Amino acid sequence: MSTDREKAKLERDMAVPEVDLRDGASGIATWAQTDGENLHPAALEILGEARRLSEKLEDKTVTSIVIGKDAEKHAQTLIEHGADRVYVISDDRLLEYRTLPYVRAIVDAIREIKPEIMIYTASAIGRDLAPRCAARLHVGLSADCTQLDIGMYVNRKKGQRFMHAFKMMRPSFGESKLATIIGPWNYPQSSTVRPGVFAKLQPDSSRTGEVVKFEPKWVEEDWIQEVVEVQKGGSRVELEKADIIISGGKDLGREGFEMLQELVDAIRANGQVAELGASRAAVNAGLISSDHQVGQTGKTVRPEIYFAIGISGAVQHLMGMQNSKKVVAINIDPNAKIFQVADYGIVDDYKNVVPELIKQVKNGFTFELDK
Amino acid sequence: MSLKDLNIVVLLKQVPVPKAMKTKADGMMDRSGKSMINPYCNAALEEALKLREKVGGVITVVSMGPPNAKQSLIEAMRKGADKSILVSDRLLAGSDTWATALALSSTIKKYLPDTDIIFAGLQTIDGDTAHVGPQVAEHLGFQQVTYVDKIELEGENLKVRRFVEGGWETFITPIPVMLSIHTAANTPRGPSLGAALRTSEDNITVYSVEQIGLTKEEVGVAGSPTIVSRVLNVVIDRPPVELFNEGSATERVGKLLEAVNRKEESS
Repeated sequence: MSTDREKAKLERDMAVPEVDLRDGASGIATWAQTDGENLHPAALEILGEARRLSEKLEDKTVTSIVIGKDAEKHAQTLIEHGADRVYVISDDRLLEYRTLPYVRAIVDAIREIKPEIMIYTASAIGRDLAPRCAARLHVGLSADCTQLDIGMYVNRKKGQRFMHAFKMMRPSFGESKLATIIGPWNYPQSSTVRPGVFAKLQPDSSRTGEVVKFEPKWVEEDWIQEVVEVQKGGSRVELEKADIIISGGKDLGREGFEMLQELVDAIRANGQVAELGASRAAVNAGLISSDHQVGQTGKTVRPEIYFAIGISGAVQHLMGMQNSKKVVAINIDPNAKIFQVADYGIVDDYKNVVPELIKQVKNGFTFELDK
Repeated sequence: MSLKDLNIVVLLKQVPVPKAMKTKADGMMDRSGKSMINPYCNAALEEALKLREKVGGVITVVSMGPPNAKQSLIEAMRKGADKSILVSDRLLAGSDTWATALALSSTIKKYLPDTDIIFAGLQTIDGDTAHVGPQVAEHLGFQQVTYVDKIELEGENLKVRRFVEGGWETFITPIPVMLSIHTAANTPRGPSLGAALRTSEDNITVYSVEQIGLTKEEVGVAGSPTIVSRVLNVVIDRPPVELFNEGSATERVGKLLEAVNRKEESS
């Protein structure tokens, strides 16, 4: 039945005239973020995803653009992780990130490479850089994507069928929904993607690629901002490195977060790596600083054990923690969405459960970790 | 030389309160329910008010949205903003971030051409893109610094600190500049009696698409390079949760922790 219906729909779709507005744009380009000197892990993650996506295109070339001081030293790593071509933009003045020199570098490189797809990392720097590049290039941009695909897109209203539309998926807010954003009218179709979401490829030292030393046409005004101070290691919150994350929601209030901190401290006292996490609502309510935030606009984490305490489980939170190995939920509401992703749970007020958790951890309970 | 009497713009978006957030069938946000000032925009307004206390000047709040966004503009003026512009027009419906930035920057270009500093929220809590501030800056040819949590005066320039991966960078930036503000920057003030008494809906000017110098092809769905093509329910496929709801707290927590430490039998 459904296959008949699908077949009929496909026939109707295929009757819509195909259009191709790429005008020679082809292949995928990615931005390989550095901190001026070292590659950001997401540089290799988006390269891995670009490599997988490229199988769905006629031109399978993946070009990585790397910007920084001595940026050429990253070319080999990028090639081993999937780049066919590396555009190296190297300058001593690029040790620290500044918007305008980077925008000029990316925009000039894109105009030369002419990719049909451009992927940036949705990091603090990427979210500064990508929108400005998109505005200068007069192209759309989809933010903070968690899934990407390439395929047919039919717009009946306009009577257009695209065979290689870039499908950029991101959670839509307040609900468990995933929105697909497309824009096959302007090229490159561009998106930023969440760090920590995509898997990098296993390095293959036999891969070969072309290295292009690229010189953007910088003008003096691009360099007008001056970096006067750099503070490293600003946040001591290392959610990504924690084996055990104890996260709280807004309804816990200050008192509840103090209790969670006590639990984190107790786990640490047993020599285990634990960190305090939080939902966006808790951060927005001012209960805790944003570097603790897990989820779509916070961090994507995959610890061994994730405790969601008083967290209802909005999709943007689930996006950030659903790959945790074991999930424990404690919530007074038995219908909270968090129980749908949890492995273990207690339906109760956190006030009745967390003190007991603290007690048992202080009495010597340690978590067994698979590593 | 030092900065004095600045023309300050605050970009402000009215958003649904988180509990009322829902998307309509077409993937667009339903904006008919209970609303509030986007928290990041509130932080941006606070930085603008703090700066004006130091150097003087005029704060104009600029927003794009339905007519009911006036309530947020009134709230902003009750906190101390001098006047407001609301760009409101049915033609704007369906605008993506690119078209939104075009509408806002066209408004500033036409009606606030002497703007020195634009304060924007880092992002909104309904769209979460963080696009609009940088894109307005690009359209206007302004400098930009995003993720800002600290601002000081430095002669005729500003000294601003921004968050980057693994730390902060502090910049000296000339004006005109767009600064997007992180909620960590401050605790926004509430309304003040003096400002509230001065506030009047007359201080809100509403402009149509035509009045900001754009055509219907440049805004809304027609002017947006991206559209939402479909909205899917997220399906969660995990085995059902094992609950520990029987017995005393000690027993329940004990059994829970025992289960957490249990090795998976297979796979």
